[in-house]
Amino acid sequence: MGAKADKVMDVCLRAGEIMLTYGAETYRVEETLERMARAAGFTNVHCFTTTTGIFLSFEERKGRGDLMQMVRVDDRMQDLNKVTEVNQVSREFTSGMLTVQEAERRLEEIYEAKIQYPIWVIHIAAGVAGSGFSYLFGGGLFDLIPAFFAAFISSFALVEIEGYLKVRFASELAAAFIGSASAIAFVMLGLGNNIDQIIIGSLMPLVPGVPLTNAVRDLLSGDLLAGMSRGVEALLTSLSIASGVALSISIFL
Amino acid sequence: MDLLLEVVITFFAILGFGVIFSVPKRVLFIGGAVGGWTWFALQMSLQMGITNVVATVIASFTAAAMAHFLAKKLHIPATTISIPGILPLVPGSLAYFTMLAFVEGEYITGLENGVQTMLQAGAIAAGMVLALSLFSFGKGIGNRYETGN
Repeated sequence: MGAKADKVMDVCLRAGEIMLTYGAETYRVEETLERMARAAGFTNVHCFTTTTGIFLSFEERKGRGDLMQMVRVDDRMQDLNKVTEVNQVSREFTSGMLTVQEAERRLEEIYEAKIQYPIWVIHIAAGVAGSGFSYLFGGGLFDLIPAFFAAFISSFALVEIEGYLKVRFASELAAAFIGSASAIAFVMLGLGNNIDQIIIGSLMPLVPGVPLTNAVRDLLSGDLLAGMSRGVEALLTSLSIASGVALSISIFL
Repeated sequence: MDLLLEVVITFFAILGFGVIFSVPKRVLFIGGAVGGWTWFALQMSLQMGITNVVATVIASFTAAAMAHFLAKKLHIPATTISIPGILPLVPGSLAYFTMLAFVEGEYITGLENGVQTMLQAGAIAAGMVLALSLFSFGKGIGNRYETGN
């Protein structure tokens, strides 16, 4: 096995790992990896990706030097900016503007980078999103304020609890519980009129938008295994949110 | 006038979601604009007397088509625009009332709302399918028989 083949394999798998972790569709990961390996001059390139792992194999020379490796992807987060940046690196690598070393350096930078917004901006954005949707679902203008704080609290609770719990569905349940409980508390204190809309607003930041959209896209492009597992992930998230809200409604209302 | 206010609020709510999903900064406002358009298309279709599900298909189709078009122009993954674009259609309110009905033991109402939620979610997916097939036109491979062309 040549040194170059080993290097290209590492670069490709790193690119795939970043994309899959931060919310790219399965077909995009497979296509990117196959293109990059072909651009590096290897033949018989095959890539197989599911929601939790990537397999990549290619030949160094015709009939000789077969290589095959896999990476396991444990975390599934959402940071579409990283997906876009890896996409850009692969585009430049495929068109020959980047060498293997440069591509590796760029990918490591992307891998090490934190999310592009500070966490408090994300919480505020969650508040804005939640209050906006509470209005769109039929709340009044006065309800924007409690919905903002309730959505802020549920986003904050999600991020904080996820630092302690390994099971992500449990932390989503807890965040939904805390968010809707604070929404009920605001209405009981006289802040806000439409309790249903405020609760919905507090839950909107928890909605699994990325897995849901990717599940549809995966199923359509024929990645049935990945599509089903992503769909189940989105379904479980929705169900745990629903149970969290149901719990707080049956306790506090 | 109400519709204008709703579109503005949708724009800001989708900006918020763009930050939550951490879409690249240069498409943040584009995503918000597409989301605002989605809400506008949905409300206009409803006002023209089209049923809820079909209106959702139309709005989702236009949003996903815009996402694919802009993604090709700007060289970015289509999901960075299509996810914010279809978010205003998410039947969050219906899903909530489904859950509420089940908690209160009104199973028939719950089932009704649940079916409506599923239909609405399916309508979003249908719109995305239409847009995807439009933008992959000419890349067909023939799925069932090898006819040799």
